Formats: sequence, structure tokens, C-alpha cells
Amino acid sequence: MKLDFFVNEEAVTLETQPQRRLLDILREDLGLTGTKEGCSEGECGACTVLLDDLAVHSCLTLAAQLQGRRVTTIEGLEKNGELDILQRCFVEEIAIQCGFCTTGMIMSAKALLLQNPHPTPEEIRTALSGNLCRCSGYVQIVKAVSRAADEMGGRV
Amino acid sequence: MHLVGVSHPIQDARGKAAGRTRYAADLVLPRMAHVAMVFSTVPHGYVTSVDASQALALEGVYGVFHCFNTPEYRFNRYRSQYSQTLIPEEPVFARRVRFVGDRVAAVAARDLETARRAAALVQVEYQPLPCALTFEQALEGINCLEGESPIRDEFTMEIGTPPSLEEGLIAVTAHTELGRLHHAAMEPHVCVADYDPDLDELTLRSPNQSVHGIRTVVADMLGMPYSRVRVVKTTMGGSFGSKQEWTVEPVAAVVARQLRRPVKLVYDRAAVMRSIVCRGPMRAEMTMRFQPDGTLVSLDLDLLSDAGGYIANSSDYVHTLVGKMFRCYRIPYGRTHVRLVSSNTPVSGSFRGWSSPEVALMLEHTMEKAARVLDMDPVQLRLKNVLLPGERDPKSGLPMEEVRTRECLLLGAERFCWTEKRREDAAFNAASPRFRRGTAVACGGHGNTYYPRYNDFAGVEMRMCEDGSVQVEVSIHDHGCGTGMAFQMIVAEALELPIQQIRLKEADTAHTPFDFGCYASRGTFVVGRAAQLCALKLRDEILNVAAQKLDTTPDRLYFDGPSVRSKDSPEITLSYKDVSWYALGTLCRELTAQEKHAVRSNPGVTGTHFAHVEVDTWTGLTRVLDYLAVHDIGQSINPEMCAAQVQGAVQMGCGAALREEIEISSNGQSTCSLAKYHLMNAPDLPDIQVELIQDGRSQEGPYGAKSIGEVSFVPAAPAVAAAVNQALGSDMGRIPMTPDRIMETIAKEGR
Ligand code: FES
Ligand code: FES
Repeated sequence: MKLDFFVNEEAVTLETQPQRRLLDILREDLGLTGTKEGCSEGECGACTVLLDDLAVHSCLTLAAQLQGRRVTTIEGLEKNGELDILQRCFVEEIAIQCGFCTTGMIMSAKALLLQNPHPTPEEIRTALSGNLCRCSGYVQIVKAVSRAADEMGGRV
Repeated sequence: MHLVGVSHPIQDARGKAAGRTRYAADLVLPRMAHVAMVFSTVPHGYVTSVDASQALALEGVYGVFHCFNTPEYRFNRYRSQYSQTLIPEEPVFARRVRFVGDRVAAVAARDLETARRAAALVQVEYQPLPCALTFEQALEGINCLEGESPIRDEFTMEIGTPPSLEEGLIAVTAHTELGRLHHAAMEPHVCVADYDPDLDELTLRSPNQSVHGIRTVVADMLGMPYSRVRVVKTTMGGSFGSKQEWTVEPVAAVVARQLRRPVKLVYDRAAVMRSIVCRGPMRAEMTMRFQPDGTLVSLDLDLLSDAGGYIANSSDYVHTLVGKMFRCYRIPYGRTHVRLVSSNTPVSGSFRGWSSPEVALMLEHTMEKAARVLDMDPVQLRLKNVLLPGERDPKSGLPMEEVRTRECLLLGAERFCWTEKRREDAAFNAASPRFRRGTAVACGGHGNTYYPRYNDFAGVEMRMCEDGSVQVEVSIHDHGCGTGMAFQMIVAEALELPIQQIRLKEADTAHTPFDFGCYASRGTFVVGRAAQLCALKLRDEILNVAAQKLDTTPDRLYFDGPSVRSKDSPEITLSYKDVSWYALGTLCRELTAQEKHAVRSNPGVTGTHFAHVEVDTWTGLTRVLDYLAVHDIGQSINPEMCAAQVQGAVQMGCGAALREEIEISSNGQSTCSLAKYHLMNAPDLPDIQVELIQDGRSQEGPYGAKSIGEVSFVPAAPAVAAAVNQALGSDMGRIPMTPDRIMETIAKEGR
């Protein structure tokens, strides 16, 4: 199939199979390796990206679902060499260890803040329930998202 | 100290946040083939034929490799030192398969999708053999072929002197049974191999815990000179012990050499869960004998352990376990009887803590029961028995040095409001028909190196650049917890340089000095110390060169931050750059230092954890309401990272105590999906509190540091398990305490 869609605000046209996973399109066809594969079945959240501002598992999203839609990956957050506030807060709050969950975690947090710019710690924990981190106890991650929400003050 | 002890984001945090950091699976090489595996579908049997014709007919398939068309390469996945005389028991491609998930064939193709499709087309026929899936079946030896014994290792070890009189002692016995655990590092196992046929050079890139360990195994297996096998450690997305066993590297090496092109082998989650390694199951009966006042007098342990499909490290693992029993409590006499069997199940092996967490589950379960039998407060009972400064580890004979378990208990009990919580629980339980609460404590100890079991040392090299910044060559294997940053901080502290002036890359056999690897919690304690000493040596070297430049002696000079001053001429200041230029331009040599450090101690390092849980007696579900981990860490190098690691250990321990288990079904299939293996997620956990006690400094660690990565996991599951038993007034020893098991206990004991 011919696929026309947007990745990180750029128009992309690809010849692909309808059942090709978004994760493979990003990592293999477009070289966007910031999106990670941890389980291939929607359980770990490492592959999370935004599809029209909603968090989805790119391992479960197929090319056929992408026509005309907007995909945002971790690579799309940094603007002019400046990390997004969320990314910066993850760094500064020491919320990053091995980093394999980090990009998916940040994308889920991004989706949350787009919906709910002032989440409580409980709401943050719920929004991140599909993202597994084996290195931490989620404490710094929750703090990083809280702080990012504060710093953004409602502007995401 | 201006850097050590101040929290810093780790060296690659920015790259990881940006999604730019490259992990092994992100690497692409020209002409690279992708490899997919064919795994055994039977638990035990002989492969009688492999028909790859359909797979080879697919466009883009480069080759299918299996036991009938490849030399019989064998290796030992656990060998990490050249001197270990371990049998190469494991073939790269098995002819006799020993568990569901054993490697049968590898398919290489131009892309992963083609490789996977082709792998599914490979037809394998088996002649099944009787299989053992449980302890009972393995003990019966139903899977043994002629000449094989069901007991693969058995020993009895006694440490200390038995009590002269048994009379008057109170004996407490507890049964503990542990299931299989999955490490669940978020990054699956990967290896990218590249073979240069003209130079006969092999390069392996993988997230691993010992580049030199892999080199010794792969080079010996292929009969190549060690110097022609290069192993590079890539950014690691977590390990927890699972990347200490070489499983993907030998396969990728063989396929790359056969194909004469680069290959990438990535295991998916199912393959990682089934085919790499798990924390093995254990069954234990432990008896402690106490004086009526709660003083521990002796301990007996009868242990049965299952190695799974291959023996791998299991024999060493259970031997180590005996030593780990003596790292926390004063045990005047201990007697252990251990038996090891081998079943047709996933291979057991290294797991965070290397038997310390297992032994802690046994010790703490028995201790918990003892507190009830003796009618003593669990904190008081422990205070009576923990090792104190000045005492020795009776197994190794080494001093425990400034161990702080007692302080951990006291501080933790106060911060966790121990007495109040226990009282409130009792009131809550009396009033609640459905929910039961329990508060419990657990202690656990570990080491900082494997010394004195084996000699342990590390080497480091440093060179100063023209501008005074410093390049460090050291074989570190950062698991993702920021070893790189910790080392930069250690070196920067010693040289009084800003962190950005220190460059340090990870282990690469072609460039960094020999090292055993990052396991046994030796990273900071051993290798970090070598880095500190090397930096101090470089400083001496700076003074020597500066003295030559100033035509004086080094003792007339001193450091003032990153510059050299003269006691005799206060107006003179030489920057590191000045000294470096002088060395290069005038003395015709580079400013370098080389240092090694051989360890001579292994101080006590312990943690004390407090858990407060609530059990729903209608569903069997347990919630962790509150948690405090107190650690005796010596000087923490990067405190917030230490706390984050401890919280990660608690997350893992809560899972291990309550729900994580790889189960084996009657056809030998094991749990191989995260949908069926439940990790604790963000809503499952409370805000885990951490306290670090930092005055119990080690003599040998850099700035007095002791270990943290593994010891933090040791008391976690025991604390949660004890809290559940406390809540229910039960004596469950089967871990994890899943809702089903809890409901069963409630039904049986009528609570
Ligand atoms: S890889 Fe998509 S959720 Fe795990
Ligand atoms: S940082 Fe390693 S999995 Fe989250």
C-alpha cells in the first residue's frame, strides 16, 4: 500500500505492507530508533508513541491504521536542540537509569499532560500504568512528570 | 569532597531522554544479516532431522544453521574467567535438546521479517526422551540417560563449632520454597557480530557484564587467538544478572563466521523468558536454635536446587549461597546440606544478589517464625543477633569492618513508626472483617567483590590531553545504573577537575584493560577504587613533571584545585594544560598513569527493609501500603542514583514476593509473556522511602564506598513476605504469595 502520514510534523510517504507494524516503520524504515521494543505485545510500553496526541503502542499499531494521521515519537519532542520540559525534568529528577523504558515513559507522560495539564501523583501513576520500568520504583519518574506539569503551567 | 556524595544525572541521561542513545538493537552495519532462532518445542529429546528446504527457498534467506551442518561448537555460558575449568556442556545448536526453548537452529536473512518467516518454515523432528519437570521427577532421575546421576552436585558444609549442649535451646524450623523468576530487563538480549575473513577478526557488540568473559568463551570455542576476538559492551537496558550468561554471543559469532558478514541477533521477550536464564527454583528446610533470650546459637539448612536444562553456574551458585548465610547475623555454627538436580526446564542462573536474596528469604522466614515462638519483637530479635563492627564473617574470615545493620534497624524502626504501626494493625485487623494488615522487617547482607573466593583486581589507565582534560581507559560495564557517572565523579574528585573534563568509555577488549566484569557488586568497590588510585597516581605524575618544569622537587609543590602552585614562589601557578604541554613539548612524553588494585577486604554491607501491607482476604490480593529501605552503604558516590536503584530493588522484591513466577506446564512449556508474568507497575507501588547510612565506611572502597546494586534486593522480598504472614498470622513459605496461594492458606487455616 501507499502510506501518507505525518511523523514529527513532517509529511512521509512510504510503500509498505498494510500489516507492517508502526514500530518497524519507525525503527527500520525511518531510522527513528528512539522508540524501543521490549515485549512486542502491548505489555511493556517501551514502544509508546503519540497517534494524533493519544498514546499508543507502536508494536500493536499497523500501517493500515496510519493513513493521514499524525505520529509523534520521542525524536519529535526536542525543539531546536532544546529538550522538551518533560525530557529535561526526567534528566534532572534522576528518573533515568538504563533508559530503555524512558522514551516510552516520556511519550505516555506527554499524552497525559496534553489531556490533563495538572495531574495528581495518583493520576500520573495511573497514566503510566502501561509503562514498565524495571530499574526504578517509579518514584523519580512520578516526580519528574509532576515537576514538568508545574513548569509548563498548563501549556503543553 | 565537592563531587562525591552530590547527586548527578547519569552520563547518558540526556541522550536517553532524547532517544538518541544507541543500544545494540539500534546498530546497523553494511551487508548485515538478521538472525532468527528455531527453538526446541519438546522438553527433552534428540533432534533427528532438520529440513530447511522451505526456509531456504524464501527470497532473501542467506542460510540455516543447525547441528547437522555446523561443526559441533560447545561452550559454557557461565565461564567468565580464563582459569575456570568448566565443562563446555552447551552446544550452540543442540542435538540433544534439554528444555522447551533450547536452541536448535538459526536462520539468517536480509531482514528480520524474512528471517522470522523462514524460521517458522524449518521442519524439525524429534525423538522424545522422558522428561523431568518437577523436583520429584528430577530426583527420581526419569530424565537421566545411562551414566547420568539425578543428583548433579551434593555437599555438606559446616562452619563454626556446634553448640556443646542442645538442652534448653529452642528450635524453630521453617520451610521455604522459591519459584522461578524472570529478570525482566526491559532491553531484550542482543548481539551484533561482525567477522572479517581477511584478517580473521571477530567483533561482538552486546550489552553484557563481562567483555573479557565472552572473549575467553568465544575465542576458545572457535579456536581463535584472543587478540583477534574483540568484544564491545554496548549501552545496556538493564541486566539484573541475565546478561552475565553468554547465550546470544556464541550464536551470533558462529553465524557471522559461517556467513562472512555482519549479523544481528535479537531475542524477543518470549525467547528471553524461555531460552536465556531464570532465577532457579529452590526448596529449603531451615532450623535455627536459640537460647531462650533470643540469641541465635546454630543453624541447619537442607537445600534442594534445580539447575534446569544445563548446569551452567548452578553448582557455584549453591556453593556461594552457603557463604552468603553469614553476612548479616552472628551464627556461631551453621551446617548446610545441599543437593542440586537438573530438570528439563529453563536454565537457572545468575540473578541480582547471586543467592543472597534466596538465603535471606530462608533466614528471614525462620527468624519471623522464631520471633513468634520466642514471643519477641522482630526488631529486638534481630538487634540481638546482627553482626557488629569488630566481628568477622566466619566463612571468609574477613572482618565485617564498620557494618551498620544495628543502626539501620534502629533508624528504620523509628522512621517507619514500627511500634505504632504494629499496634494500629492489630486494632485494624480486629475491626475489619475483610482486610488484614501486617508490618514486618527483614535484614540481609551481601558482598562487594567475590574476594576471597577468588582473587579480585582491576586495572585502569589514564592519559592527560593537551588541554589538561583526562581520558580514562577502564573496563566498566554500566548496567544502566550510572557506573559511568560514578566513575567520572570518582576521578574528577581525585583530580579536582570538573566532571566534563573526564572522558570514559565502556569496556572494549580492544582498548580497555583486562577486567573480570561487572558482577558480584564489584564495580564501584574494586574497579572504582582502581580508578581513584590511578587518578592519584596521575596527580603524582603531574607534580613530577611540574617540578621538572620549575626546576624544583615535587615536595615543594602543592595542588590548588586543578593547578599546581609552588610553596617557594607564591606567584607561580601552573595549570594542568601547562604541565601537559611541558611534558609533550619538552620532555617528549605523554602524561599518563597506569594503576591496578588487588582487593584484600570484603566488608559487611547490609540493608534493612520495612514493609506495611494489606491483604484482601476475599480475593487474596495484597497491596503494599508503605515501604522503607535503610541501607548501610558507606560513602554513597551518587546518592540519588543509589536511592533510585534501591527503589528499583524494592519494586522487584515486591513482585518476587507477591506475583512474579515463571511456571512450567505439564508439557514443559514455561511462562513466556509479560501478559502472564506480572511486574509491579506505577499504581501498584507506594512512594518507596530510602535512607542511606553513610558513616560505616569501608577501608578499601573509593572514598569509603560499599556496594548497593545487589544488596538492595536482598531484604525486599523477605520483608513483604513476612508482612503478609504477619497480616494473616500464617506461616506461608511458598514464594511468591500469589492470590491463589493466599486464598488456599486462608481456606486451610480458617482466617
Ligand atoms: S514493545 Fe510495544 S508494548 Fe512492549
Ligand atoms: S530505566 Fe531501566 S527500565 Fe526504566
